[in-house]
Amino acid sequence: MPAALQLYVRLVDRLSGYVGVVAMYLIFVMLGVLLLDAVTRNVVDYPLHWCIEFAQFTLAAYYFMGGALTLRDNDHVRMDLFYDRLSPRGKARLDLLTAVCLLVYLGVLLFGSVSSTLYAIETNERRFSMWNPPMAPIKVLMVCCIVLMVLQGISLVIKNIAVLRQERTP
Amino acid sequence: MNDTSIALVMFGGMLALLLTGQRVFAVIGFVASTAVLALYGTGGVEIPFSAAFKLFNWFPMLTLPLFIYMGYVLSESGIAEDLYRMLHVWFGRMAGGLAIGTLVLMVIVSAMNGLSVAGMAIGATIALPEMLRRGYDKVLITGVVQGGSSLGILVPPSVVMVLFGMIARQPVSQLWLAGVIPGLIMAAMFILYVSLRARANPALAPTVSDEELAMPLGEKLKLLRFGIIPFLIFFAMTGLFVTGFTSLVESAAVGATCATLAAAVKGRLTLTMLHQTARKTLGISCMFLWLILAALAFGAVFDGLGAVRAIERLFITDWELTPWQVVIMMQVSFIVMGMFLDDTAMLVIVAPLYVPLVKLLDLGFDNQLIWFGVLYTMTCQIAYITPPFGYNLFLMRALAPKEISLLDIYRSIWPFVAMMALTIALVMLFPQLALWLPETVRGR
Repeated sequence: MPAALQLYVRLVDRLSGYVGVVAMYLIFVMLGVLLLDAVTRNVVDYPLHWCIEFAQFTLAAYYFMGGALTLRDNDHVRMDLFYDRLSPRGKARLDLLTAVCLLVYLGVLLFGSVSSTLYAIETNERRFSMWNPPMAPIKVLMVCCIVLMVLQGISLVIKNIAVLRQERTP
Repeated sequence: MNDTSIALVMFGGMLALLLTGQRVFAVIGFVASTAVLALYGTGGVEIPFSAAFKLFNWFPMLTLPLFIYMGYVLSESGIAEDLYRMLHVWFGRMAGGLAIGTLVLMVIVSAMNGLSVAGMAIGATIALPEMLRRGYDKVLITGVVQGGSSLGILVPPSVVMVLFGMIARQPVSQLWLAGVIPGLIMAAMFILYVSLRARANPALAPTVSDEELAMPLGEKLKLLRFGIIPFLIFFAMTGLFVTGFTSLVESAAVGATCATLAAAVKGRLTLTMLHQTARKTLGISCMFLWLILAALAFGAVFDGLGAVRAIERLFITDWELTPWQVVIMMQVSFIVMGMFLDDTAMLVIVAPLYVPLVKLLDLGFDNQLIWFGVLYTMTCQIAYITPPFGYNLFLMRALAPKEISLLDIYRSIWPFVAMMALTIALVMLFPQLALWLPETVRGR
């Protein structure tokens, strides 16, 4: 395996890990902001209308930012009725074929997200609510996360090829 | 090609690709994306992405990561070990006492968490090894843990009902209340079954020796204090929600906080534990959310093809089914699909087809959709534990002690599937079993 590819896999895998660690601590942000909402409304009687909406934005960031790490670590459910019986090489071969599914889906998501984000920036799109936050920041973040997921998908393909050629995975 | 055959090709293509073992979300998203491009050209390219904002607007979805987090914290916190010790002493003398105690433990855990993961983790790591050590029959107790933990989605709080409520536009509090009585009936059936089996063949479940249970009454009563924390968590979460003090998502946050506090009280709260819990929560949450994202895109294309009307035409005009036959057909198709499809994917793809149809049917009572939500949740329970594809089966295989083989797991579930089917039949025959409690609470 060329050194450039090894470097690519190492870099992308590490980047997914960093972004994923930030994502996983967002659970405490959601928890805190929702608790704040419950307390301010019931205990001190000072309702904060933006809390739930802020938590919704955090949830979107949470699973988009966690996307690449969970791809890398194979956290996504598979229907492993037959898949489970294959050898590691068999799995790698099948994964290599069906990686098309993953990459096509992520590609269509990427196109859609870019066009939606450009629209949000051009028209200064805002969410219709009392808080009325702009939509561009979360959309830009989503585009970046999808790009990272595509990069991670390619890294998975490289690793599959390495398994097939019986090379050490970088 | 007409719309119906496009829909069939999409569905068939999805099932075929799923068999390759590619990630389920990628397969569903791929079929949706290619269908969008084939049907609407580049104009439809935003459809899969816009599903993210449909998901965004479903704010009850916030409960999902919170409940997953809470489940992991509960199983790490040591609350379950204490509870198990208490149940062990109190039920020890009954035939099959430990297995019955495990079922009671499962009901208590179900009342604290909205998924079956927590019950599964606690049952497989705490109850199973203990029962194996005492010579309980492994097939029997494997079934007990599988069946018992699946109650997590029927007894409130329930994440499956949150999802159903979003799709069917029904109040979640009513759905949760509707699950209480069927859940307790099912639990009672499980307990009766275990005690009958143990009485008929004591070798399956040896009783605990007397000296182990010899304990002054004062000590025994003192053990009851272990029930206090779970009760407080249940009250803080479901109680505050049903009485209207906290909203649904807030009560999930309250529950997650209570579980964290309980772990702190027991001295189990460390930075390492929080880090690992956050990592596991991210894994399961991302799995669910990406699956729902892909399934929403799939559902949007299906909707555009008019699949609801096609199914309605098939059931009502072509096959001339009566309303009750339609409901039975739906349940059977849920169970069959549930064996092969992930239940979240099933809900997001199939429920939008069935829910409008249920609304149209005249079954002769009110709140049909609440009732249907309970039926649906119970079919999900069956889907969770039936091979080849069931969450509880996978979790069990990952968590159970080594001497329990896959074959044991497969053999253990059938009596429990039969009892679940019996409960479904009961709730169909007597809809008030599900509807009485929510109607009474609302009427107040």
